[in-house]
Amino acid sequence: MEIYVCVGSSCHLKGSYNIIHVFQELIDQFNLKDQVELKASFCLGRCTDGVATKINGEFVDHVSPENAVEVFHEHVLKPLGME
Amino acid sequence: MRYFIETGYVSLNKKGEELCGDRVEIIYHDGTMTTVLADGMGSGVKANILSTLTAKIISTMMASGLKIEDCVDTIVQTLPICKQRQVAYSTFTILQIGVMGDAYMVQFDNPLCVLLRNGKPYEYPVEVNVVEGKTLYETRMQVELGDVFVMFSDGVPHAGIGITMSLGWQQENVVKELVSQYSPTDSAKSTAAKLAEVANALYLGDPGDDTTVAVMKVREKQTVSIMFGPPSNPEEDIAVADKFLHTDGIKIVSGGTTSKIVSRRLGQEIRTCLDYADPKIPPVGMMDGVDLVTEGVLTLGHVMELSNMIVSQDNTDLSWLQKKDGASLIAKYLFEYATDVNFFVGRAMNPAHQNPNLPLDLSIKLKVVEVLSKNLELMGKRVNVEYH
Repeated sequence: MEIYVCVGSSCHLKGSYNIIHVFQELIDQFNLKDQVELKASFCLGRCTDGVATKINGEFVDHVSPENAVEVFHEHVLKPLGME
Repeated sequence: MRYFIETGYVSLNKKGEELCGDRVEIIYHDGTMTTVLADGMGSGVKANILSTLTAKIISTMMASGLKIEDCVDTIVQTLPICKQRQVAYSTFTILQIGVMGDAYMVQFDNPLCVLLRNGKPYEYPVEVNVVEGKTLYETRMQVELGDVFVMFSDGVPHAGIGITMSLGWQQENVVKELVSQYSPTDSAKSTAAKLAEVANALYLGDPGDDTTVAVMKVREKQTVSIMFGPPSNPEEDIAVADKFLHTDGIKIVSGGTTSKIVSRRLGQEIRTCLDYADPKIPPVGMMDGVDLVTEGVLTLGHVMELSNMIVSQDNTDLSWLQKKDGASLIAKYLFEYATDVNFFVGRAMNPAHQNPNLPLDLSIKLKVVEVLSKNLELMGKRVNVEYH
C-alpha cells in the first residue's frame, strides 16, 4: 500500500509536515514498514481540499494534523484488516 | 575569452559607531567592473563623509574614463579639511577589471591588495607614482580565470590590537588566513565574509576600527534558470517548459503544478523524499533532466529572505551554505554558483492560493521575484525575468 501526502504550498501550510510525522509514528507503532510506503507528493491537484493525500490509489482530502490518526485507522488499518 | 567579474564585500562598523568610515563603491560601466574601497580618517560621521565622497568621486570619474591623476587631484581639492589634523584624507584602493581580463589597480595607503591565483598569493607588478605629493601604487596586468583580488581596510590587519594580540593580526597573517580558507568555489561575498568573520573574532566581536573586506573574483559565465509557476495560459505550458529546458547550466523547477508540467514534458518522474531539513520548508525532489525540484512560493520566499540577509553589508553568517533544505539549496545555486540568472515566472492563479488566510497569492509570488532579482543584481549578477 502506498500513501502519498501532498507537500505543495497550501497543503504545507495546512500541516503536511505534522501529518507525515503522525503517519510515520503510526507505521512504526503498528509495524507496517513492509506493507505501507509513505511518500511525499508535490501537488495532487486538489489544493482547495488540502491537506490532500492519496491512500491505496484513492484520494483522501481534508486531512489535518487533528484527524490524521482517524484517517489512518479508517483508510490504512481497516483495509489491511487490522481494525 | 570573456570573463565575468564577481564582486562582494562586508563592512563592520567600529564599536559604538552607527556609520562606517569605510566605503565600498561598485559600478559596472562599458564592460568594466570597478570597485573602490575608501577608508576615511577617523571614524563615525566625519570618516563616513570623507570615504563616501572619495569612493563616489573616484568611481564616477574612473568609470567615465578619466585619468587617475585627475581623480586624485579632484579628491584633494574637494575633501573637507579635518579641523584636528589639518588634512583632508581618505585612503583608497581602486580595482578595475574588464570583461576581456585587463586589470588596472591603484592603491593609496590602504593595506596592499592580496591577489590569490590558484589559491596562492601572487605577486603582481607594481609601479610607484607620486601625484599631488601622494604615493600611489599602480598595477596593470592581465587576469586569469579564478583570480581572487582581496582588498581590505586597515581594520583587518589591525584586528585584535591590544585585545587578543599585541601587534594585531598583521598583513602576513591575513594572507596566510586567506590561503588557508581558500576554496575555488567560494563566491566573492563568501570570501569577504569569511575573512571579516575572523577579524571580528580577533576583536572579540567589538571591532576597534571600521573593518571592511571587498573581493573581486574572475569567473566564467554560469547560468542558473528557475521555472516558477505555471503560465497563465495553459496552452503555453509546453512552450515555456521547452524554453526553460533549453537553457544552459543549472535548472531548478519550483512549484507543484510547475513540476508536473516539466515532468510530463520530460516523461520523467519526480522523486520526492520525506526528509524535512527544516520543518518550515517543504522537502525537495529530484527529476532526471533538471537539477532540483522544490515547492514554490514558500521555498522561494525563504530564498528571498536569505538574499536580504546576504546583501546587508555587515552580514558574515554563512551557516546556510551547510543546510540542505530547499531554500538553502536554491540559495547556493543562485548566490554562490550563478553569474547569470533566468527566471521563467508563470502567472497562473491557483484558486487554493486566493485565500486571505494563506500567504500564497500571486502578488506575493511576484513580489518575491522582484526582491530576489534586485538582490541578485546587487550581488553583481545578470538577471533576466520573463513573465508568462
